[in-house]
Amino acid sequence: MRRYRKTAFLFLAPFLTVFIAFYLAPVGYALYLSLFVKKRIGIGPPKEVFGGLANYIRAVQDTDFLNGLKNMFVFGVVQVPIMLGLAILLALLLHQSRGPFMKACRTAFFMPYGIPTAIGAMVWGYLYSANLSPFNQILKAWHQGTIDFLSPAIVLFSIANIVTWTWTGYNMITLFAALQNIPQDLYEAARVDGAKTWDIVRRIQIPLLLPTLQILFIFSIIGTSQLFTEAFVLRPLGYLADNITPNLYLYLTAARDANYSYAGALAILLALLIFVISGPFLRRVASR
Amino acid sequence: MNNSIVWRSFLPSPACRSARHFLLWAVAGSVCLFLPSLKAQSTYQEPDYSKIKPESGPITLEVWTWVVGLDKAAQLFEQAYPDIKVHVNNVGAGPTEYQKLQTAIKAGSGGPDVAQIEYDFLPSFIATDGLTDLSKYGAEEAKSFFVPWTWGQISPDGKAVFGIPQDSGPMAFLYNKKIFDQYGLSVPTTWDEFAQQAEKLAKASDGKVKLVDFVPTQAPWFIGLAWANGAQLFKAQGDSWTQSLNSPECQKVLDFWADLIRKKYVATIPDFTAEFYNAVGSGQIAASIEAAWGPGVLAASLNDKTSGEWRVAPLPQWSKGQPFRSGNWGGSCDAVLKQSKHPNAATLFCVWLNCAKGAVLNNWNSYGIFPAGLSGLGSPDLNQSDKNPSKFCGGQNVAQVYVDASKAVNVDFPWSPWFAFVNDDYNKQIAALISGAMTPKQALDAWQSDSLKTATGDGYDVKAK
Repeated sequence: MRRYRKTAFLFLAPFLTVFIAFYLAPVGYALYLSLFVKKRIGIGPPKEVFGGLANYIRAVQDTDFLNGLKNMFVFGVVQVPIMLGLAILLALLLHQSRGPFMKACRTAFFMPYGIPTAIGAMVWGYLYSANLSPFNQILKAWHQGTIDFLSPAIVLFSIANIVTWTWTGYNMITLFAALQNIPQDLYEAARVDGAKTWDIVRRIQIPLLLPTLQILFIFSIIGTSQLFTEAFVLRPLGYLADNITPNLYLYLTAARDANYSYAGALAILLALLIFVISGPFLRRVASR
Repeated sequence: MNNSIVWRSFLPSPACRSARHFLLWAVAGSVCLFLPSLKAQSTYQEPDYSKIKPESGPITLEVWTWVVGLDKAAQLFEQAYPDIKVHVNNVGAGPTEYQKLQTAIKAGSGGPDVAQIEYDFLPSFIATDGLTDLSKYGAEEAKSFFVPWTWGQISPDGKAVFGIPQDSGPMAFLYNKKIFDQYGLSVPTTWDEFAQQAEKLAKASDGKVKLVDFVPTQAPWFIGLAWANGAQLFKAQGDSWTQSLNSPECQKVLDFWADLIRKKYVATIPDFTAEFYNAVGSGQIAASIEAAWGPGVLAASLNDKTSGEWRVAPLPQWSKGQPFRSGNWGGSCDAVLKQSKHPNAATLFCVWLNCAKGAVLNNWNSYGIFPAGLSGLGSPDLNQSDKNPSKFCGGQNVAQVYVDASKAVNVDFPWSPWFAFVNDDYNKQIAALISGAMTPKQALDAWQSDSLKTATGDGYDVKAK
């Protein structure tokens, strides 16, 4: 038994080394940083002194941070179902059809995923700019008012649109692959029993997609909590709130305001929150 | 220099062309048996660089800047000091660079030897203890060669020197003469006249052409205008600070602009965006309140579109009889990071870059870097009608207008270490002002209280004034 364990560790070593160096160590460092506060005496560099949980107490009272979390929830509740719904629909359609056109569609839907997030966001930045936007030029041609896609009331949805554009194809391909795995004889049996296409979708395909969907759902929720690049790239194009996403808020706290201790506390809190939210889902998937 | 964004890197770079111009000019200069340059040299003073001794052996200096074309000046430096190689890296402008810089400072490594930092953001880097005191490396040698108030900006306590002044940004009124002639507009000398011309243009063009853009995402632009109206924002007194972002001087300026915004006589497009350059290049904006580096940056960013149509006039004044006043927007220094392994060579480069004639002229012609050095500022060579920014302004002596503006700037204007937050929070309040959710007074009050809250949260002893 003992010998096997050694061998197991040997095989795990490459993964564990990287995991510890680039995952656990930074988390530990953030935790360590978060326990310090700045003490200033006069003008000049501050001293970092041990502050216990002071940064955590500040964070739970920080309305900007809490509103950032609220934005994250709104985003998750609105964007994730739309994206996954679209992905299911496209996967089912692609699965039904054959032919070169469908193959072309499959590639086209998947393509945004292959474009680096920052580049995608830049292109959308052009599409969103008030006067240059082709959407607004179409609206103008129809004598409609233009939309300011970057205005504070709308910008969260503009970001949601970019995320949907990027990730629907990825989710679609994953679901499509899961559909391919459904044994052919299940369909045949259903047909023999007189099932229509809609019955097959409802009683065979969707139930068998559920495990994949659950995994995608968890990934999407975690992805939502990590939203950063789109907001960061759009930011110089107009006014985007510091706390439009919690991750942008903690980035600015660190890199702009040079308050790394407080940013560390925010990061730890955010991670805990995501752990609490995604934990039950993960347990359910694991128990299958 | 103020902050631009990633978008600018998409715009065709003027660097190649200006480099070619520069080389042509240099060759032409030597063909003329150095006669013109000899004459200029008699007035152009440079410090004794040999007082700053670089580290021995081959050295490579990493330099972060967003001045397009600065690599050409660096090449001149490499020719003068063959042992030192300079690697110029444009990692983004303004805050984009600062955020990388703060991260590198916190990490203790990964930063450059030399970094371009605007005066208003310098205290936030002094406060994180990331910058070397250059007085230890002979920077004092250069002090008398710089405009005194720019030296005050990099040496707030009068002792430690945290950078070498690169440029300043006194403000003036840049206007498109073609559009002004087309609509019969006159160049405003007071803000009242400015408002009248804005109204006249809006009505004559059916709202399609705006007189200027009210820059909604550049706090230092607004601060420059408040500065010209006598505002003071921050003051350190002993161990504590005062902050007055909602002073009557700021209030008067924002009231004036809020009225023009409400009547839609001015545009409100974020600066340094494709959208802004498109509006300016296609004649939807007739004028722009620009710092000294503005015409050069515009010429470079528009890739010479509308070149020759522009002129510069002094900043409009609040009343006719008052002594002429201007404000300052941006302006940078070159600072050396504490983590640099070659502080002597880095100091030498910073001093040389901003004093050596070839470098100063290169930076002015390629990116409108309005020199902070006295000799550069007084050099007749700043006015070369076939080169930007003069060429962009139809051959006008652009530098002279800004030299005059520079003399009219209140030189006592301290910044604060939490300015990076103040800078961003302005955008938030102005967005609310433009959408009509806030009055100018509410916007300034919120700006003041948000910034106070963050500063005190970060441990500063700061009070409202």
